[in-house]
Amino acid sequence: MPRFLTDFIQACMDGLLTGALYALIGMGLALIFGVMRIVNFAHGAFLMVGMYVSWVLFDKFQVNPYIGFLISGLFLFVFGYLVYRALIQPIRDRSDFMQILMTTGIALILVDSVQLKFGADYHQTIIDLTNRPPFSFGAFTLNRAALLSFVIAGVFIVGLQQFVVRSRTGQALRAIAQNREVAPLMGINVTMIQGFSFALGIAMAGLAGGLLLPALYLFPSVGEDYTLKAFVIVVLGGMGSIEGAAIGGLVLGMTESITSAYLGQQWALAVDFILFLLVLSLKPSGIFGRQRA
Amino acid sequence: MTALRGWRIFALLGVTAVFACLPLFLPNDYVLQVFFRIVLFAALGLAWNLVGGYAGQLSLGHVAYFGVGAYGMAMLYAHHVPLWLSVLFSALIATGFAAIIGSIVFRLRGPYFTLSTIAFAEVLRLSVTNLPAAGGAIGLSTPALFPPGAFWKMFYLSAVALAFVSFLVNAWTSRSRFGYYLMAIREDEDTAAAVGIDTANYKLRALMASAFLTALGGGLYGSAFQFIVPDSVLSGEISVQIAIITMLGGAGTLLGPVVGAVLLLAASELFKNKFQESHLLTYGILIVIVVLVLPEGIVGGLKQLFQRKTKPPASVAPLAATPAQGGD
Amino acid sequence: MSTILELRNVSKRFGGLRAVKEVSFTMDSGEILFVIGPNGAGKTTVFNLVSGFLHPEEGQILFRGEDITRSAPHVSARKGIGRTFQIVKPLPSLTVQQNVMLGCFMHTGHLHEAEDAASKILDFLQMSHLKDFEARGLPLAALKRLEIARALATKPKLILLDEVVSGLTTSEALALADLLLRLREWGVSVVGGVEHVMQVVMKIADRVVVLDYGAKIAEGKPADVVKDPAVIEAYLGAKYKEMAH
Repeated sequence: MPRFLTDFIQACMDGLLTGALYALIGMGLALIFGVMRIVNFAHGAFLMVGMYVSWVLFDKFQVNPYIGFLISGLFLFVFGYLVYRALIQPIRDRSDFMQILMTTGIALILVDSVQLKFGADYHQTIIDLTNRPPFSFGAFTLNRAALLSFVIAGVFIVGLQQFVVRSRTGQALRAIAQNREVAPLMGINVTMIQGFSFALGIAMAGLAGGLLLPALYLFPSVGEDYTLKAFVIVVLGGMGSIEGAAIGGLVLGMTESITSAYLGQQWALAVDFILFLLVLSLKPSGIFGRQRA
Repeated sequence: MTALRGWRIFALLGVTAVFACLPLFLPNDYVLQVFFRIVLFAALGLAWNLVGGYAGQLSLGHVAYFGVGAYGMAMLYAHHVPLWLSVLFSALIATGFAAIIGSIVFRLRGPYFTLSTIAFAEVLRLSVTNLPAAGGAIGLSTPALFPPGAFWKMFYLSAVALAFVSFLVNAWTSRSRFGYYLMAIREDEDTAAAVGIDTANYKLRALMASAFLTALGGGLYGSAFQFIVPDSVLSGEISVQIAIITMLGGAGTLLGPVVGAVLLLAASELFKNKFQESHLLTYGILIVIVVLVLPEGIVGGLKQLFQRKTKPPASVAPLAATPAQGGD
Repeated sequence: MSTILELRNVSKRFGGLRAVKEVSFTMDSGEILFVIGPNGAGKTTVFNLVSGFLHPEEGQILFRGEDITRSAPHVSARKGIGRTFQIVKPLPSLTVQQNVMLGCFMHTGHLHEAEDAASKILDFLQMSHLKDFEARGLPLAALKRLEIARALATKPKLILLDEVVSGLTTSEALALADLLLRLREWGVSVVGGVEHVMQVVMKIADRVVVLDYGAKIAEGKPADVVKDPAVIEAYLGAKYKEMAH
């Protein structure tokens, strides 16, 4: 196989591994923004909190991040629900403008609170798995930690998708997304379900945060880029579509990986945003279906 | 009703002049520098107010114009453009940049608009960081607009002049067809179009004016601090700061951005020693409070309390059976 | 009399659904024409097509002889087509007078001239006493009149009134109808659209176009149309059958 081809395939595979985590992050936001129409500019900040929860468990109690991420998810589910009841629900029916401001404020509070508590230092989480040589086959290699994250993320992606499609709660959720006025008439507790979806979306960010921990340096504003990335994913995948967000995540992961391989890693984020602007300006209505009646 | 007429305009000029001169008697440059920041951010808030306040478009990417102002000035000067002309040209470049950005982002509504403004600013920051020609992550040194002797005094006075011009632009806007059109766009774009307003065009005009003023502010800031890096003059934090100042004081009001700048910057100056690097926490808490309790901002909230009869009658008088005389 | 508006075989699709099917009609200037039909018949879509908020896939729309099929909404407004919205769209934090001034600004850049023009229109619509209230929180009857006032302020040649009497009590609706008759004094032709309030149509319409499932099924004088068996059968149904006999 020619060298350029193996390089390209290697980049794609690396991208898919990262992409699975992006898919998880994006599905969380798709639930909150696409389905519940809450513009959450704090998604990345919640992800960062998830990383810190896992890190504290690892640092203080020697809990392996591949177990700790579950606690991150649970913690953020509860935390997300509380934030919803305290700060989001009161402005639920206000303009996007106010929702953006509110969630931006929440993000600032989260980032700086973490900084006050844990300082601005970088932390690295080294576990046995990250030190092991990469898994290799033929001309290709795969990072073992990333591979494990990929498999775990895959399980949660399928699980969330099945939950939304099959469970009663998932059906109620989709009913609200379809028509907020009619849903209460069908005996659905809208506030309850919205709070639950918000919490579930945040929990996804928490899980992803836990799984990202071994791969990234940890610092308080580590989540900043992920807010925009999550919106990029949701827009790529088509508004309101959980499955679309999963695919959008994989696409973004591959885009970044290919950009890094050919232009250098420092351009990956810029290419993300350029992709976002291109999609929005070339297909402003086509990609997010239900924009206006 | 008229805001700026007769004695009022002289009163305004007088008060501005007095306030402008007071800090000149301050004992040290550090305090003067704090005042420079406050007045500069008041000017930036007033510039943002055109887009975020009157036109109701939540831009969280204004640092792009600020950064173009600072970087443009430094780079043009390095290419032998006369000092003050490089300030003016960089502001014009920012205006052109706004025209390009605006023609793309104003086709989008709500969150997509805001996200795109952030994305543009971030692309700019990342590009400058990665391009050696623009100094990369290391940064550029900037030319000094004023001689060392009266350095901060002159910068302070320039900021006052910029704030004053921005204030006049706002004052004119609030009492002109242009301003009414922007407000109509903010309240309901369909209705605006139905009364003949070319909404995209007016939003673009507001953004271009706003970008011009913001870039002038960026030029002043860049020169005053003598050295610029992407993380200082292209940081998303500045975009948020500008928006918060205006929202806290009252978006779409004349005095709001001024009140917001004084409060926010004075507060972060006071708390600086207490919380060291956690001024963002202060911002965050202020935002939450504004959204929950003071959505109209301080000035807007006071206006609601005192000025307008906000409670309309529960029912209106029925139409007279014999139609009244009217029309022509 | 000259033709002010002409629709030629206009069709509009939403996804698979054809909301408007090959609708044609013409209207003379000075006329009061009502487009009627049950909910979902396509009235609002027709209004959106004429005012440029939507564009048809097929057919042509002519306004005073000029093709406006693809005009943007603000362009149509400047050509002289005023409109109201079925779901009222006031500018909530502006006062009633400021709402109307926005329309006046089409013809003047001066604040005082706009204020004066707005006052005249508010007098005509008998809402001068409301002029300093913010539009938010006004009762529906006032908001419906505000919609008309704002549209009238642009000095339109043609005004599209979408469901302007719906949600009002019968006496309110009839009083408003008297006012609509007097729109002619302002040199305006009127296209109204209503679903239920037939008394208003009977009282003031010169002519009626009936839509059903997006297609035109009848056209003529109101008194004739309500007797048309096709209309009774397909649209008016049992409710108005008695009225016709």
